[in-house]
Amino acid sequence: MTLTNISRPNNSTGQDTNVDLKSQDIGESKYRHIYVVIEHEEGKPLPVSLEMLGEARRLMDNFNNKYMSNEKVVAIVLGSDVRPLCEELLFFGADAVVYADSPELNSRNLIDTKVISSIAKDKSLIKEISPEYYEHFQRPRYMFFAADNIGRQLSSTVMADLESGLASDINKLVIEDLEIKHEHKTKGKPIVYKKTLEMYRPDFSGFLWTTILCLDNRNPAIQRDYHPQACSIIPGVFSPIDRDTKRNGVIVNYAPDIPEEDLARIKVLSRRVIKSAVDFDKYKCIVSLGRGIKDSPEENMKLVERLAHTLNAEIGISLPISKKPYTISESLSSKYFVPERVIGTSGRKVNPLLYVAIGISGAVQHVAGMKDSEFVISINVDENAQIKDESDIFIKGRIEEVIPMLIEEIIEQQAKMVMKVKE
Amino acid sequence: MVSLGVAVIVKLEPDFSEGNVSYNSDGTLNRAETKNILGPHSAIASRAAFYAKVNYGAEVSITTMGPPIADYALQQAQLISNADNLYLYSDRIFAGADTLATAEVLKSGIKVMQDQGRKVDIVFSGHRASDGETGQTGPQTAWKLGYTFLGNVISYNVDIENRKVRAKRFISLQGFYDVIEEVEASLPVFISVDPSYKADYNTITQRLSIMKNRKEASKKSQEFKKHLQVLNAEQLGVDVKFVGLPGSPTIVYKVEKIPKAKPSRKASVVNGSDLNQIRDIVMKMNQVISGMIIK
Repeated sequence: MTLTNISRPNNSTGQDTNVDLKSQDIGESKYRHIYVVIEHEEGKPLPVSLEMLGEARRLMDNFNNKYMSNEKVVAIVLGSDVRPLCEELLFFGADAVVYADSPELNSRNLIDTKVISSIAKDKSLIKEISPEYYEHFQRPRYMFFAADNIGRQLSSTVMADLESGLASDINKLVIEDLEIKHEHKTKGKPIVYKKTLEMYRPDFSGFLWTTILCLDNRNPAIQRDYHPQACSIIPGVFSPIDRDTKRNGVIVNYAPDIPEEDLARIKVLSRRVIKSAVDFDKYKCIVSLGRGIKDSPEENMKLVERLAHTLNAEIGISLPISKKPYTISESLSSKYFVPERVIGTSGRKVNPLLYVAIGISGAVQHVAGMKDSEFVISINVDENAQIKDESDIFIKGRIEEVIPMLIEEIIEQQAKMVMKVKE
Repeated sequence: MVSLGVAVIVKLEPDFSEGNVSYNSDGTLNRAETKNILGPHSAIASRAAFYAKVNYGAEVSITTMGPPIADYALQQAQLISNADNLYLYSDRIFAGADTLATAEVLKSGIKVMQDQGRKVDIVFSGHRASDGETGQTGPQTAWKLGYTFLGNVISYNVDIENRKVRAKRFISLQGFYDVIEEVEASLPVFISVDPSYKADYNTITQRLSIMKNRKEASKKSQEFKKHLQVLNAEQLGVDVKFVGLPGSPTIVYKVEKIPKAKPSRKASVVNGSDLNQIRDIVMKMNQVISGMIIK
């Protein structure tokens, strides 16, 4: 493992010493590597950061095989005392880690954005990371962020600063050579875009997948390069690689240049950890509801509430319910139709012993939040609902009929158990 | 001279409430049949601007980019915020813009407001749109404007004299916990308002001011066109290379139905009206909860 210190600013430009490349290859060779922006807390990476490294590792291994190249997975980590994190990031798939260590890097968007953006543009880092690509390097080829509160905003501002494209909430990635014919991008002519990142994004309904590409404008009238190709990645969809302490790589210290005037523009006064009023982890059972309650939302909500009470369960909801689509009494709506209760990619990921899905269709976003439950029972009128494929038991029937029967039976069996204990 | 000027960026979105939203048989949104309204997150951002109106007597401007019918969103936002000015940025060449190209138009719009002599100390936007859900346009507009971006703001107050904002932000750290962070930033700032935003109106003066402003708002929004400016690309002074489709780094390459994943479990299907089967299920549930069955 090599450790290098680089100080900023550095405006050195590389000398052309390599053999000549064809002009097209030079254009393409300006962009190298996947840069992955890491988030961390209490000295540990967030799970999504390791998931992104895992996916970047798999993509890059295929990429290097396919294109006979040697491009890298580069982790970027900012914060106070982050040096001990760096090895861990290598163990989880990074080839190189660029870290910036300063107490001022405490997730203020303004300051972090400038540091990440300057790391992305910094050519001298490539001397340490991959000297063979130093000469032509200008920008990362790809860039990954987490689709969470911090990463979503950071990705937006960093890409606004780098003036390139960004796709959000991605759950599948493919790298391909694609022939594109586009009115604006190619002026209607077919052009092959090599090494293009196909970024798959499930839409809000969970039934459609949109593939987004970030492409240079090759149309002479609006000629412009758009790199890196960047995306934010939904937590919980990709797997990290197994931690491998034999993996090693380059760790580079990046001394950021943080202007005094930026520090004066924003200060963090306090930071307080809060416990959500809804704590799914405390419960062995979660009962959750979706749009299937729509026929009589008020009554059905009350039924779900009673069922949860009988089972000593916490109540979860699917994303559409948090948008308060039905008129029900304020006391129920303000308690249950709230974002804190959403299970899925826009909310919490849960893994109770028992998950009861009531009137939930099973959109991919919801499934991502509950698929690790030990045992799943779903109640739905529609036997073709996708939730069936995520269920151990599928009760076909109307909420109004099934839940009262369940409640009655649960109470009866609980009474029997109490009797037994007394005996 | 007003002490504070604020702008709100809003969006006209499909109405996802039951009875208004229409889905195709394959589960996708039927855009033609679904009504459009002021997006719920835009409504929350408008409430945050109303707070500035009530507390600081701010001049409020609402802005949106969209087709001519998007003026409906402006009207609704005016009703919520008692806005003084409405701006619609509308031009066919803006169509199909991704977030970066949209941010370019919105930035130019704020600049035009400033050129007209308005103060824009705070720009508010919703957390994310219900239909696009990227949450990128707000921060990208902030960056292009050079405003300090504050995301997920749940409450804020302005120190008018010292030109500073104090705001609380909600940050969810996956796998750890949630955090409330309090920050202080110099004006101008760009605030994206969290869905759990709350305004505190405690004093009698504030409550009286609310009533007065609500009355004004309802009057103004009835004749909202009096307050409306519609600006096209030329009037905004945007470079057509940086807006709409030509100015968008990203394209939608394809849209497909998400293929059904391989079933991860094999469900046994039970008839919900069969009491005997329900009895068996409840026994199973009890075993699962008591930890007697671990798959």
